[in-house]
Amino acid sequence: MFLYLFKRIGLSIVIVLCALLALFLLLHLIPGNPATIALGPRATPEAIARYAEKMHLDEPVLVQFWIYLFNAVSGDLGVDVFSERSVTRIVLEALPSTLILAAVALFWAALLGIPLGCISAVRPNSWFDRVTGVLSVATIAIPSFLVSIWSLLVFAVILRWLPVIGAGEPGDLADQAYHLILPAFAVGLSWVGYLARMVRASMLEVMNETYIRAAHAFGLEPRTVVFRYALKVAILPTITLIGIGFGGLLSSALFAEIIFTRPGVGKLIYDMVMSRNFPVVQGAVLIITGVYVLINLGADLVVAWLDPRVRSSL
Amino acid sequence: MAPLLQIRNLDVVFDTDRGPVRALRDVSFDVPRGKIVGVVGESGSGKSTVIWSVARLLSGNGRIVDGTILFDGRDLCDLAEPALRDFRGRQASIVFQDPMTSQIPVKSYRQQILDILYRNREQSRSQKIGHALAMMRRVGIPDPEQRIDQFPHQFSGGMRQRMGIAMALLMKPQLLMADEPTTALDVTMEAQIIHLLRSLQAEMRITIILVSHNLGLVAELCDEVVVMYAGEVVERGPIGAVYARPAHPYTQALIKSDPARLTERGRYLPTIPGDLPDLRLTHAGCIFAGRCPKAFDRCHHEKPAAHALADGHDARCHLLDPEQAAARALPASVTAPSPQHGAMPDNSGTQVSEPDALIRVRDLRVSFPGRGGLASLLPGGQPATIDVLVDVNLDLRPGETLGLVGESGSGKTTLGRCILGLVPASSGSITFRGRELTRLSEREFRPLRENMAMMFQDPVGSLSPRQSVRALMVEPLDVHRPKGFDRDAAALKLADMVNLPRELLSRYPHQLSGGQARRVGVARALALEPDLIIADEPTAGLDVSIQGEVLNLMRDLQIAHNLTYLIISHNLPVVRHISGRLAIIYLGRIVEQGDCETIFRRPAHPYTEALVNGIPQPDPEHRRTLISIEGEVPSVAVRPRGCEFHARCRYAQPRCREEPPAETILSDGRTICCHFPLTD
Repeated sequence: MFLYLFKRIGLSIVIVLCALLALFLLLHLIPGNPATIALGPRATPEAIARYAEKMHLDEPVLVQFWIYLFNAVSGDLGVDVFSERSVTRIVLEALPSTLILAAVALFWAALLGIPLGCISAVRPNSWFDRVTGVLSVATIAIPSFLVSIWSLLVFAVILRWLPVIGAGEPGDLADQAYHLILPAFAVGLSWVGYLARMVRASMLEVMNETYIRAAHAFGLEPRTVVFRYALKVAILPTITLIGIGFGGLLSSALFAEIIFTRPGVGKLIYDMVMSRNFPVVQGAVLIITGVYVLINLGADLVVAWLDPRVRSSL
Repeated sequence: MAPLLQIRNLDVVFDTDRGPVRALRDVSFDVPRGKIVGVVGESGSGKSTVIWSVARLLSGNGRIVDGTILFDGRDLCDLAEPALRDFRGRQASIVFQDPMTSQIPVKSYRQQILDILYRNREQSRSQKIGHALAMMRRVGIPDPEQRIDQFPHQFSGGMRQRMGIAMALLMKPQLLMADEPTTALDVTMEAQIIHLLRSLQAEMRITIILVSHNLGLVAELCDEVVVMYAGEVVERGPIGAVYARPAHPYTQALIKSDPARLTERGRYLPTIPGDLPDLRLTHAGCIFAGRCPKAFDRCHHEKPAAHALADGHDARCHLLDPEQAAARALPASVTAPSPQHGAMPDNSGTQVSEPDALIRVRDLRVSFPGRGGLASLLPGGQPATIDVLVDVNLDLRPGETLGLVGESGSGKTTLGRCILGLVPASSGSITFRGRELTRLSEREFRPLRENMAMMFQDPVGSLSPRQSVRALMVEPLDVHRPKGFDRDAAALKLADMVNLPRELLSRYPHQLSGGQARRVGVARALALEPDLIIADEPTAGLDVSIQGEVLNLMRDLQIAHNLTYLIISHNLPVVRHISGRLAIIYLGRIVEQGDCETIFRRPAHPYTEALVNGIPQPDPEHRRTLISIEGEVPSVAVRPRGCEFHARCRYAQPRCREEPPAETILSDGRTICCHFPLTD
């Protein structure tokens, strides 16, 4: 078990390092001098020289990467080109808001999607299953930014039930929650359909297994068989999928943040790309990569915790 | 006293895309209290459907159309779902065929047991566990206190099946239904489970229905037998009467074609020609008429009634109608072995000098890396490598059939794959016609593969589902022959060679029966006209009647093409029937090797003796009272010291625990690895 943890964490570190390398090379692939790009066409030669020296641009590429790597590992992702604030600080300030949005969206989607999938699988081809199926495909097919815009129009502009923009007053949890409803709805909606389809498919497979028949043959209650036997096995591939799909979730959150003008990493990346503030973009992408790797590690550990076969083959 | 279970005129239909299949028709039989009733039939006979009808757990598309199932005087067909739930588990329980798939992998046995005992509200948790531990001890699970917290995958197959029996008996049901309870297990484990079921039945006075295709198993265990064919009961009666005087031609054929019955080799196995009838159609006459060697006019358009023969023994056959006395004079036999085929060339006695061996294996050792490279470095970890085969010496002479017998995990399949170069040898040598194989690169080995072919274990699973039979059969030619050969002609030739109807060439594997798929496998192996065919469990999963056809075909082809066979199997009767020589493998070591008949008549190694005695005989008069072998196959990862078999050996001496026996040659030419051979 510890060995598995050790291996998985090692692998995660390798992935993050690859991401680091890719990000670093990406900046060097942009034609022209990084300093001119960063500072813009109207920068004075002195400013460019100062910037080049500060960023070690006169060193060989490998040395530059080494310095970058060393700084990144020690938590220093560089400074904002304009404000000279620490990038790590800027990104970490924006991160909680994004994570809360993603987590709430996923939570309500799971709360609705998993039972929908279960019930559909228990009564396949019933009217319930058919309606759920059509609605699921519909929610998967509609892009989340469209959902964002339409829900904004309907619930905030026309009906005026919910606020249009912002994340609510800092410190006022109720107000923040009130502001979270629409974005979380928009981000999570496609996941309802996604989870319902996934759970239905793996439930249908599991319901045909001999051990489910055996559970019935021992006279267990149908509810026990469906939720404590079948779902316990069927949920495993879904958990792995949630881990992998988390990247998609973050990009939906990005759109939602832009549309609802919520603070967050998505909004941050958008603004910084617009103002060509590359160190911040680089740092934000790197931290998002780290979060993504961490979520996947978490998903794998949850599967290992639920499935003794995985646990013992580690 | 009234029988515990009375099934009357049961009709079951499965609705499929291609129309309703009438899986059970007019099935009636009784299960007396405290008896063991065997339900025997081949696949498609509906024998398992009977169990699922009684448990009222038919799959979604199945329904009981007509008939009654009286349990203790109550009709189960009238029960609503809550009452049925009360019936299941509490009054009737099921032991499943494959303990690997019938126990949920993500719950520990403790959780599973507590779930089953949810109805015993008056019991406390610790009482329930105490009760379960007692039951686990009763079915022979050592250290139940520790093992109850383990998960199914941590149990071996035999232990899992014991656990399956324990869980089925937890609620003390009156009726236990066992669906092929030993089919997934090894021979020695099968004997132990039979013994366990018999002693549990005597002790707890439960009534058992045993569903099986294995006539020997039924003979060992049952008091009464019900023979089913294509969804109908054709014969039923006390076990002694049915086995001694089978009345229905199907029962006669079934008993005749069981290879366990045959003691002489070199003869053709009797078979039942033809296929199961299509159960979507209604059949006016006797259901077996199409395949019956004694069928006459009346059989094809009139359903036979059940004719009583003696006390409780009856069969549905027109021949038993007293008015049909004249017809009885017809010759009674199953398809006799075709006269144009001679006996198998028996070269087992002739000593072939060593250089002539087609395949020579010397001191072969195959090791696999142990689990996890890092884990082995930790203290107490497993060794870095696991020896799967040790010191294997084997000669295959041209034209002979060598049977390689062992239980699962013995390394028998690895040996076959190693000869084909699919698994690298760690040390030792394998020569093919004097040419060393172990150091060849894949590119050098490739042309040699034309001379060796493999028949894989699962007849349908080893064929690509997306290719037609024609493409599958000529595939080896595509690989090894230059382009531009006549594919159609080649496919037709191969189909004729293996007696596969030509119209099946454009079908796909899932449309074939097990026997037909096996024939395609044989054709693939034959396509390049090899010298050697390695057949891995060639008859596994096939019905008795089909099994005979495949073995007869392999025999004919051997004579026609001078083939050498290495037959890998755990099925001793089949191996005995087809092989000239035999090699018994235990934990990767060949423990006995020599002439097949000699080994069966006078086994020299205690393990061989246990295997031979472990075959259930289809003869209720000769039941075994002893379990021939105790315990389970140890893991190759932790090889026992000394002789690997000593812990399970009845004759083990102190020396066996200390010193591994060397390979010695007995006076009759057998080689054996044992300090104290049983003969010589």
